[in-house]
Amino acid sequence: MISNVWIAVLVFYPMVGALISYLVGKKSKTARNMVANFITISEFALTVYVVISQYASVIPMVGEEVISSGRGALAVGTYMNAELTIPEVCGLGIHFVLDGFRSVYALVVAFMWMMVTLLCPEYFRKYRNRNRFYAFLLMTLGATMGVFLSADFYTTFIFFEIMSFTSYVWVAHEEKKEAMRAAETYLGISVIGGMVMLMGIFMLWNSLGTLTFSEIGIAVKVLQGYGGRLTGEMIAAGICILFGFAVKAGAFPVHIWLPKAHPVAPAPASALLSGVLTKTGIFGIIAVTLQLFQNTEWFGYMLMVIAVLTMLIGALLALFSIDLKRVLACSSLSQIGFILTGLATVAISGGENILAARGTFIYMVNHSLLKLVLFMAAGVIYMNTHKLNLNEIRGFGRKKPLLHIAFLLGVLGISGIPFFNGYVGKTLIHEGILEVSNIPGYVEVLFLLAGGCTLAYMLKLYICIFIEKNNNAEKQAEFDGKKKYMNFGSGFAIMGSAAMIPFIGVVPNIIADKIMDLGQSFFGVGILDHGVHYFAFHNMKGSLVSIAIGAILYYALVRVCLTEKDKEGQLVYADYWPKWMDLENMIYRPVFIRFIPFICGVICRVLDSLVDFFVVLLRKTVYRDSALPHELTEGNPITHVAALIADKVIWVLNKTFFKKKPIRKSFEHIFAVRWEEQAENNQIIGRSLSYGLILFCLGLVLTIIYLMWVILK
Amino acid sequence: MNYLILLPILIPVIGALIIFLIPNKLLQAKEGAKRPYIKIHSLFAVWMLLSAAASVYVLVSGIASKPVEFFTLLDNIPVMLCADKLGIIFAWVSTIAFVCAGAFSFRYMKGEKNYYGFFLMTYGVLQGLDFAGNLVTMYLFFEMVTLMSFPLVMQTKTKESIMAALKYIFYSLAGAYMGLFAIYFLYQNTITLTFTPGGCLDMEKVQTHPTLIFVAVMAAIIGFGVKAGMFPMHAWLPTAHPVAPAPASGVLSGVIVKAGVLALIRVIYYIVGPDFLRGTWVQTVWIILALITVFMGSLLAYREKVLKKRLAYSTVSQISYILLGLAVFEPTALTGSLLHVVFHAFIKTALFLCAGAFIHETGKERVDELTGIGKKMPITTMCFTVASLGLIGIPPTGGFISKWYLATGALSADIGAFGYLIPAILLASALLTAGYLLPITIKGFFPGADFDYTNNPKKEASAWMWMPILILTALSFIGGVFPDLFADFILWIQALVF
Repeated sequence: MISNVWIAVLVFYPMVGALISYLVGKKSKTARNMVANFITISEFALTVYVVISQYASVIPMVGEEVISSGRGALAVGTYMNAELTIPEVCGLGIHFVLDGFRSVYALVVAFMWMMVTLLCPEYFRKYRNRNRFYAFLLMTLGATMGVFLSADFYTTFIFFEIMSFTSYVWVAHEEKKEAMRAAETYLGISVIGGMVMLMGIFMLWNSLGTLTFSEIGIAVKVLQGYGGRLTGEMIAAGICILFGFAVKAGAFPVHIWLPKAHPVAPAPASALLSGVLTKTGIFGIIAVTLQLFQNTEWFGYMLMVIAVLTMLIGALLALFSIDLKRVLACSSLSQIGFILTGLATVAISGGENILAARGTFIYMVNHSLLKLVLFMAAGVIYMNTHKLNLNEIRGFGRKKPLLHIAFLLGVLGISGIPFFNGYVGKTLIHEGILEVSNIPGYVEVLFLLAGGCTLAYMLKLYICIFIEKNNNAEKQAEFDGKKKYMNFGSGFAIMGSAAMIPFIGVVPNIIADKIMDLGQSFFGVGILDHGVHYFAFHNMKGSLVSIAIGAILYYALVRVCLTEKDKEGQLVYADYWPKWMDLENMIYRPVFIRFIPFICGVICRVLDSLVDFFVVLLRKTVYRDSALPHELTEGNPITHVAALIADKVIWVLNKTFFKKKPIRKSFEHIFAVRWEEQAENNQIIGRSLSYGLILFCLGLVLTIIYLMWVILK
Repeated sequence: MNYLILLPILIPVIGALIIFLIPNKLLQAKEGAKRPYIKIHSLFAVWMLLSAAASVYVLVSGIASKPVEFFTLLDNIPVMLCADKLGIIFAWVSTIAFVCAGAFSFRYMKGEKNYYGFFLMTYGVLQGLDFAGNLVTMYLFFEMVTLMSFPLVMQTKTKESIMAALKYIFYSLAGAYMGLFAIYFLYQNTITLTFTPGGCLDMEKVQTHPTLIFVAVMAAIIGFGVKAGMFPMHAWLPTAHPVAPAPASGVLSGVIVKAGVLALIRVIYYIVGPDFLRGTWVQTVWIILALITVFMGSLLAYREKVLKKRLAYSTVSQISYILLGLAVFEPTALTGSLLHVVFHAFIKTALFLCAGAFIHETGKERVDELTGIGKKMPITTMCFTVASLGLIGIPPTGGFISKWYLATGALSADIGAFGYLIPAILLASALLTAGYLLPITIKGFFPGADFDYTNNPKKEASAWMWMPILILTALSFIGGVFPDLFADFILWIQALVF
């Protein structure tokens, strides 16, 4: 492999750029926008240059490549891996590599950031703290590049954590209540995921002594070659790392942050969160699955269960939701499930299934581009209407051809309609599932069903926004009157991204196949020796079934069950998803924020005051100390405790029965006085009694003397 | 020339004496005069710089890397100073932290004579502790550090602070006596009390009564662990640190607690020797105590609402990270410990100074009152954020590097299930650290859409305040990105000790 310094530039240039843009932004907002645009555009140009320069440096040493990439797959012919090691930085050193997969993703990342930055100036016209957003936007670009270019888990982890923290700022940017709450969830679960992943990395480092992806693959292969199996430590490490990446990818059951965080972020950020940041999670999952858990069948099945659940839950949530961005976010969830299904298929096949591997990769790329287009379109709608509820933005898209075309392309792409990009990936994964005989048949059914759901909820969005008219005629007139709904920069961003959709989809053998050729070495699968006839009938069958299911679902479910009639008899979309059915509020928050800290808190408080307790005890007994600072001023321990209990009872009663007329008194003093009175009374009684007793005794004595006198006489 | 090693100890002490001896008359402005004859700040600044320069001279020139004997206390117990690499690390850390906290004091403290005097005094004796060449010298300076830092705690002279200072001194003395008990027995059973990397137990004598030595070492661990805030004798720390003035709390939490760490390294690694203790019940108990402390400190910090108190509990937890690294007797973990000594000192001093700056500018001490602080004091809050990330251990900050070495060291050490438990607890504690530090930053920078910007104008603390904070934060960050800077020292120590 050859060393290429430009890789480091790709990663660190945007980070430096973030600082520059922040400082410029303090002086002038327009200049800042230009600087940010310049940085992302030049980053994209630089990425293109670096990738192309890798093509130029052809050295036909296939043999060496075979060793270095684990499974000997990088014989695409003209592509040469590059690597870069920055030793001793951050402890173990940072290690980058630029292979086919990473080149494609570096291009996707740079492209998406460029397009999003073009949209930003218009979208953020009326926002506060724009400078902060831009700085963190660029910072995250560098970190994301770092994740995708990393060659070992150590480097991945470093940039992954930076990315988690910088992207937090996006989610929280609007600072509204729900945004802060969603951001809190995002940060909390990211930190948890990061810690668990770190634990896994510790164990992996301990058991294998390397963290480099390709070396892990070789080490495991050697181990299995000698008939060995993964040790418990390795398995635990792998599961921990999987958990960490699954959090970012939004896989079930740690998906909870995703449908909340993506909608509340500003649209440019949502596009990146959905399009790219989830893919960093997938990137890590691929590395774990195909390097550490290669030939480990049970892991493939486990992944398949996670994948199918994610796919279905996302689709279901999207069908029910009536918030534009929430539908798109849930759709991301579902699409992640599709990608993971493809990956699980590869894993179950023991890394043999080429079609599924290629499908998984092209699906990732497609989904990134599609979500970019869809979320930017949603952003345009939001910046004009400031609403996201489908009933309120209904009809906004009418008479707006550019937006209409872009959104339609997005819908067609993501639903897997032939001749658009989404179809390529979906078909390949579908073929892969059919090829691998170990996979139970119902996985295919669920796959097609989820594909149908995709079409149904996308149709719901499309028809609502672009075909139907708003229930409120005035609003519709206002929508129709909006001719200048986006400026040139935003229009270019959206249309430029949308153009990619048919571009990849119409001639898959030319473009999509090239992309997949580049990517498959990372999956460690062999080379595809025959071309795929994407538009042959037997390949289109699955897609057609899916489309049919989608059409049925839309007309039978969405139009009938998920809508209601309002007072005037007009159709409105209704959200029937029960509010309480939310894993986060039902389980995670109560357990992790209330329950566990409370229990541990009690234990720790006891431990904390252990020695102090003994000191006080000794002072009170051996040393016979004077009053402690917190000694009672009146009453005694019994009245104090009784008063505490009574106060609590009153407090409870005030909260429940006496809400209107709360009782306001403290029992501390009352009880103390009562005790005092009682004590006095007791004393009086006691004294009287004893006086009586003395008299009685006196009488007794006199009686005895009298009796004695009588007897003696 | 080797006697020059006395300079970093004597100069601050003399400076402190001068400050104490100046009559109050000279420090107060006469009627009509604009300024007093002597400004206490200037005097302090001059002496602080002079002392720091002396330290840096000794640290850089490498004089006295061989032990220097001064006089003997008893027939064969000399008072001896030596600037070896371990001492140099600690001395660098304390010099940087004290200079920064000292600079911070100019605006924070209003010319209290006692404060500046004892601040210098503490610095001087702490240098003595760092350069101590044998166990008895170390013990002398250890006690002096306690006594000299005690007035810093009761600086405000409120009832609360006096009670806290008393608690501090009683706990510390109790701990030191336990240490002294251990020193008696070690004196009987070692070849010499001079620090010898790898230990200098007299194995022939020890063979006859190993249990006694184990008990003595355990006493030393618990005793010197008091200063390091180790469970069960940690309770003084969250009481005493928050009541001191912010710069004093900064050095107390950042540097002075490290005196306990240094003492433990000296006793365990330079007198007893890790090989003697490996796999014994002493090690097990030590690890368990440290683990409890790590978790307990973090959790109580998580549930604490007063910022300085929260930071004090955090210190309890973080110092036990270091102790954990020492307790597993493994070179990588020791590296992690030493790195954490450095990073924690910078980070915690910076955090306490930030808390001080918040109090000075807004008067707010409770965490929930600090909403919008990032809009008001952006630089300070930004530093607070970066330092927080360091304490949590988010790459590429320093805390991550030390955690990496601590955890991988623990995993590769031969200590059974503890090998997994230690990293797990460290990460759980890191999670709690995120839970108690990040909300401050978040509330500070994201006050909510309905935040009143007009009534909360930007009002940054003076440069005397934010510059030291910025320097400390930057050091903790740069140290994380280029940990190689310390590699020289740490490899040297590892090679000698193991």
